[in-house]
Amino acid sequence: MKNTDKARKPGRKKPASRKQLAAAQYRRKGFWRILLRLALLGLVLLAGWMVYLDAQVTSRFEGRRFEVPSRVYARPLELYSGAPVSAAALEQELALAGFHKGDGSRSGSYQRSGGRFLISSRGFDFPDGKEPRRHLALSIAGDQVQNLQVVKGPDSAIVRLEPAQIGGIYPAHQEDRILVQLDKLPELLPPALMAVEDRRFYDHHGIAPLSIARAMLANVRAGGIVQGGSTLTQQLVKNFFLTREQTLLRKGNEALMSILLELHYSKSDILETYLNEVYLGQAGARSIHGFGLASQFYFAEALEDLLPHQLALLVGMVKGPSYYNPRRHPQRATARRNLVLDQMQQAGLLGEADAQRARSLPLGVSDKASFSQNRYPAYIDLVRRHLARDYKEEDLRSEGLRVFTTLNPAMQMAAEKAVTETLPRLGDKALESALVVTAKDSGEVLALVGGRDPRYAGFNRALDASRQIGSLVKPFVYLAALSQPQRYTLITPLQDTRFTLKFENGTVWQPKNYDGLERGEVPLHQALSKSYNLPVVRVGLDIGLAEVKSTLQAFGTDSAISDYPSMLLGAVAMTPVNVAQIYQGLATSGFNTPLRTIREVTDAGGEPLSRYSLQVNQVADPAAVHLLQYAMQETMQEGTGRSAYNTVPRALALAGKTGTTDDGRDAWFAGFSGDLLAVVWVGRDDNGATPLTGATGALPVWSKFMAQVPQHSFTPVVPDGVQYHWVNVQQQALTDEQCENARLMPFITGSEPKQTITCAGALPQKIRGWFEGLFQ
Amino acid sequence: MMRVQMRARVFRSAVVCAVLLLAGCASGPGGGIYVPAGERPQAPKPPLTDGAAKPADEPQVWRKSEQPFEQKSQQKAQQQTGVPGYRESGDQMPAAAAGLVKEADTLMAQGNGAAAITRLERAQRIAPRSAAVYFKLSEAYVMTGQLGSAEQFTLKGLSLAGRDERLQRSGWLLLADIRRARGNVAGAQQAESRAASL
Repeated sequence: MKNTDKARKPGRKKPASRKQLAAAQYRRKGFWRILLRLALLGLVLLAGWMVYLDAQVTSRFEGRRFEVPSRVYARPLELYSGAPVSAAALEQELALAGFHKGDGSRSGSYQRSGGRFLISSRGFDFPDGKEPRRHLALSIAGDQVQNLQVVKGPDSAIVRLEPAQIGGIYPAHQEDRILVQLDKLPELLPPALMAVEDRRFYDHHGIAPLSIARAMLANVRAGGIVQGGSTLTQQLVKNFFLTREQTLLRKGNEALMSILLELHYSKSDILETYLNEVYLGQAGARSIHGFGLASQFYFAEALEDLLPHQLALLVGMVKGPSYYNPRRHPQRATARRNLVLDQMQQAGLLGEADAQRARSLPLGVSDKASFSQNRYPAYIDLVRRHLARDYKEEDLRSEGLRVFTTLNPAMQMAAEKAVTETLPRLGDKALESALVVTAKDSGEVLALVGGRDPRYAGFNRALDASRQIGSLVKPFVYLAALSQPQRYTLITPLQDTRFTLKFENGTVWQPKNYDGLERGEVPLHQALSKSYNLPVVRVGLDIGLAEVKSTLQAFGTDSAISDYPSMLLGAVAMTPVNVAQIYQGLATSGFNTPLRTIREVTDAGGEPLSRYSLQVNQVADPAAVHLLQYAMQETMQEGTGRSAYNTVPRALALAGKTGTTDDGRDAWFAGFSGDLLAVVWVGRDDNGATPLTGATGALPVWSKFMAQVPQHSFTPVVPDGVQYHWVNVQQQALTDEQCENARLMPFITGSEPKQTITCAGALPQKIRGWFEGLFQ
Repeated sequence: MMRVQMRARVFRSAVVCAVLLLAGCASGPGGGIYVPAGERPQAPKPPLTDGAAKPADEPQVWRKSEQPFEQKSQQKAQQQTGVPGYRESGDQMPAAAAGLVKEADTLMAQGNGAAAITRLERAQRIAPRSAAVYFKLSEAYVMTGQLGSAEQFTLKGLSLAGRDERLQRSGWLLLADIRRARGNVAGAQQAESRAASL
């Protein structure tokens, strides 16, 4: 630069000497030489720059084409005559799975009148086979499906609706998309898009200078940017780098990259990527990319099912997704859509009548974004942890896997409602809660709440709050005892009296009952149902801590269990999910059933990758568990759980156990019906004291949940080796059914009382004589 | 050799199961359902036990194995407010579940045990307290060579067979076959003698 400046300066001076002229001539030659060198350097730099841009744009192009988040689905609703579902829950399920109210004959619509439903399913590719499109008619009465009929489509006694998508596992940059392929598009979409955005798409080489010139002229006339001359290719490139600045350098780069892209890829590759890449809206932190996802997002429908007026809206929104957001600015969006419909008509894509009809239609946008970002953060958290056993995080984020979970949306809603409506009534604002619901016999996790605000994706108490379980441990102590029928039955009298334990190191332990009282002798079943502390410690010490510990471990706890007798009163820390795991075995006659959140994982194309099958493993004698279940039912009817029936009708038979730790730091309830197992924890994150007990803190949440869900009562099948007898518990004798104090109770065969007494409590003379002879 | 024998024995059990399944199909799903308050105007149904679950106009069928004495006792127990309930047998299979089991049978006949398992798991979700579903799962696991799982599902089925002697017998025989195939001769004999004692 300095040289050229100097070269110009002499030109302005006159006259010049010959010497000066020669020098000037020399300099002029030098100037050209330098210019040439600079041009060459420029070319090399440009070539290098092109190589750099090429690498950038191809890597983006390849990356975006295949980077798809994993999709997480709820369990599909199975419809068959007798299926338990309320009309309200069915309607909620339909909404969640993207069905809209309509005539029930268009795919993805339903019609409800009272308890009668007409549903037109879309069909779905499940890992185990395709569920075809069907028209269904059914009615709901008494919370059960009645008269399911397939009106159109292949007949079947049982059909699955497409599952609701409940979340995704997104790439770090929070972009989401549903990949669409060119051959599965609505025919109208590509020509409509080209008519509006890039008429010469198939003719240009990435840039269209004429269009740019036209646009520039229009912009100059208007004194601002009113028209863009970008081709689809340029828009695609712009989308890759998503910067809003409108500099000349950026425009130049875009143009260069567009040309490079066109050199590398075919028009159809570019078009397909464009359709999957274009930015079409925002849902919180998540951006909506591509027509496939936008169709779901705005209309809750599959792209292939969209009608012309809906396609026109999406095409129109390309110009400015937030400016033309149909939910926020419906008027603007309508005007834009109608303009697109005009252009489609001009391009001959729509006849006049069709275009006129389309213009007169409302926008047809669904009320709410059809799926917001991970509606069920706590549940998805557990799903991710289960997936992490077999999959790499980066694969989950980008490989487009399909994850079929066991989440039951209706149960989840009931669970969230139980927590959010009950906690405020417990007073303390710092109280937190967790709720786990599983299917009793399959171990499928149906619902999960990780805190008092179920939408908050933070600390997940259901999985990570490891807290002392208090009296929830007692059933395992008694189970270990009842597994020795020659020593313990439900009517074995236990000492409810104080005692002191002295350890070798000199420390002393003196357990107490919650109410501080002593009752002398109590039968075992009552000691459990009323949750007395003194008898359980005596029983535990009698059968041995090792026995109790191994029972807990067999039922599936992974917590460390101390060897101190305080563990008999629940000085064992567990998470709510772990408690649900160990109670599964109690609810199912001694079969440990591993909890599952995932049924199957497939790749993006539907090919199965992994299946997580039902497993059962017998870990206890069903006969002993049946006895324990008796006492756990009694807990609900006469014991510490009876206040559940303030909320739940007596008609629903339940079984369960309360748990409370010192100073009310933890309130627990774990219990089950015929179909469901639910565990609730309530307490403070700082482990502070509360005035609550299991019955006043956790049980209200549990009952509120149970009361909302249609389900079967808990009436366990009497297993082999168990017989029911009428007994007089106090006298430990068989008695007559008619006697006032007679109680019908189960015994492991051979462990029932040997003596019989009358209603008055008298032993028949002969038998008494025989017994006296035996024991005196 | 062992395997062939095993297949034959399991087939024998399967036939028993199939007969049982057909019997099961004849009646509807066992047990009524609790309907949350506010869902419909009617009052909730009474407590659910074997007896109470059946509609009033349906004639009561006494199985030979069911002791009328105990049924009556139980009804008395249920009449008292808040007494733990129980029942003598598991659920019958609803038609939808029986249809899936039939599909599973077809798949098994085609040698596709894995696909049969997916159908049976669907059936299990519909009829989780039906012993027959678990026996079928057990057969499918025998087919896929997972005898450990097969044994566990048989045990689970047995825990729900209650007083139904036919179900009990087919379950114990299936268990005997599986145990023998696993080399547990003593366990097999024990199961066989249980079947014989019924």
